[in-house]
Amino acid sequence: MVGRRLGRAADAVALGAVLLVLVVPVAWVVLSAFKTRTEVAALPPRLFFTPTLENFVELFGRSDFLDYSWNSFVVAGGSTVLGLLLGVPAAFAMAWHRMTWPATATLFARMAPGTLFLLPWLVMFTAVGLTGTRTVLVLTHAVITLPVAIWVLLPYLEAVPRELVESAQIDGARAHQVLLRVVLPVIVPGVVVAAILAFVFSWNYFLFALVLSGVESKTAIVASFNFVGEGVTNWGALMAAAVVIAAPPLILTLLIQRRLVGGLAAGAVKG
Amino acid sequence: MVAPALLFAGVMIVFPFGYAVWLSLCDVALGQPPRLNGGANYARLAGDADFWNGLRLTLWLYAISLVAQLVIGTWLGLLLARTRRARGIVRTILVSPFMLPPVVIGMMAIVILDPSFGIANWLLAQMGLPPRLWLSDPDTVILTVAAIDTWQWTPFVALIVMGGYLSLPGEVFEAAEVDGARGWQRFRRLTLPLLGPTLVTAAVLRSVDLLRFFDVIYITTQGGPGTASTTLNILAYRRGFEFFDIGYASAIMVTLSALVFGSVLVFARLRRAVTW
Repeated sequence: MVGRRLGRAADAVALGAVLLVLVVPVAWVVLSAFKTRTEVAALPPRLFFTPTLENFVELFGRSDFLDYSWNSFVVAGGSTVLGLLLGVPAAFAMAWHRMTWPATATLFARMAPGTLFLLPWLVMFTAVGLTGTRTVLVLTHAVITLPVAIWVLLPYLEAVPRELVESAQIDGARAHQVLLRVVLPVIVPGVVVAAILAFVFSWNYFLFALVLSGVESKTAIVASFNFVGEGVTNWGALMAAAVVIAAPPLILTLLIQRRLVGGLAAGAVKG
Repeated sequence: MVAPALLFAGVMIVFPFGYAVWLSLCDVALGQPPRLNGGANYARLAGDADFWNGLRLTLWLYAISLVAQLVIGTWLGLLLARTRRARGIVRTILVSPFMLPPVVIGMMAIVILDPSFGIANWLLAQMGLPPRLWLSDPDTVILTVAAIDTWQWTPFVALIVMGGYLSLPGEVFEAAEVDGARGWQRFRRLTLPLLGPTLVTAAVLRSVDLLRFFDVIYITTQGGPGTASTTLNILAYRRGFEFFDIGYASAIMVTLSALVFGSVLVFARLRRAVTW
């Protein structure tokens, strides 16, 4: 059994090496965010230093980063709510009638390159005078959140016993009452997973806001990209921005880690 | 109950898609209504060196990233299944890279890979190796981008593989043990075929993202140096939103969409072939 023990030791070393490769770059960003201007570019790198908040003070003090973060929050929150408002009833009807084509159709939106929609959207939103508003970003990000909501919720809805719905119908409940009073309470865990994934996808999304946001509606993601483009030489402030925009998705996904991969892969298994 | 979602999809997805296809068939000049030009934009694609360069880069980036992520991901997924370690802090570490915003990945790459002040070249120097121009060497920039994406998404593939492996019936492997199948033979003849559908699922998900890869490239290089990382999606974006060559940019985007849908159809067939 020496061979087996050796094998286990080798596995542990390999796993440790992989984890190190994954952690070090992220840790580097976080450490840099708390270093002073001179320490941040120092080579050999300083691993021990007195952490400072000056980068965060500069980030929020000298730019409108707080406003941009608020925009991100409104857009991600709004598009999540819109995606769920549209997606929950749609997924319920699809599961109940065993329809698959609308779900397949939403996959189309998930596969198409985002650039494809941008020019038509630009024309459409200019025509109705909405360009540069957060409304535009909520609407376009809902194109991302809607398929997520539908595909994450379908398995939860298919698992709801049909008798539960049928008995409510016999008692005279209308479709929306069945959904709100009977079905929704049962699928709360699914709605939580869908909401968190939708929020994270929308929060992280770069391309639509890059083109469609205005000075007022710019998201924190686009603002951070602009810092890079302006050749900001203060890496500390840059890394502070990275930490601020990375925190919400990382914290939120901690809550649903076990269901995360299933949620991300939803749609690919059947589609 | 499907109606509101369908209405939304019609206005926000189906109509814009049709409109983009129509634009791709038109001459579009600012201040004038678009005029159909009989497929001239597509004819222009065939003679455009930037398009062929973009196509070559897109497929090259796609192929190396997909192979690297599937191979390393399978190895790592089986390692995780064996050690039963994908819990708690280990799972958090595995999940973090692909939950980070692409902008953060890009900023991280810029700072770590900076030729003079980045830690990557400092580490190379400690090992006695020459420094590299990670993001500004036209010959290797695509490899750098592929490495960044592989860093970010291999854990995702690994977690899918782990899930697939752990859901396989254990008796099969016990029977193989009795028959004396070990190591490589067991992997090649048993594990790999049984994982077929799982791997196809992972491949579809990565294909869609890799073929239309945009964010990290645009953030780190904007398609440069020169056109060394101008993949089709970057090319379409630049032609559309920097040069306002709208009809032609739409033709590139429609072609890229066809490439993505085509790859998904191929994998859908493949899945039927490998399903046991």
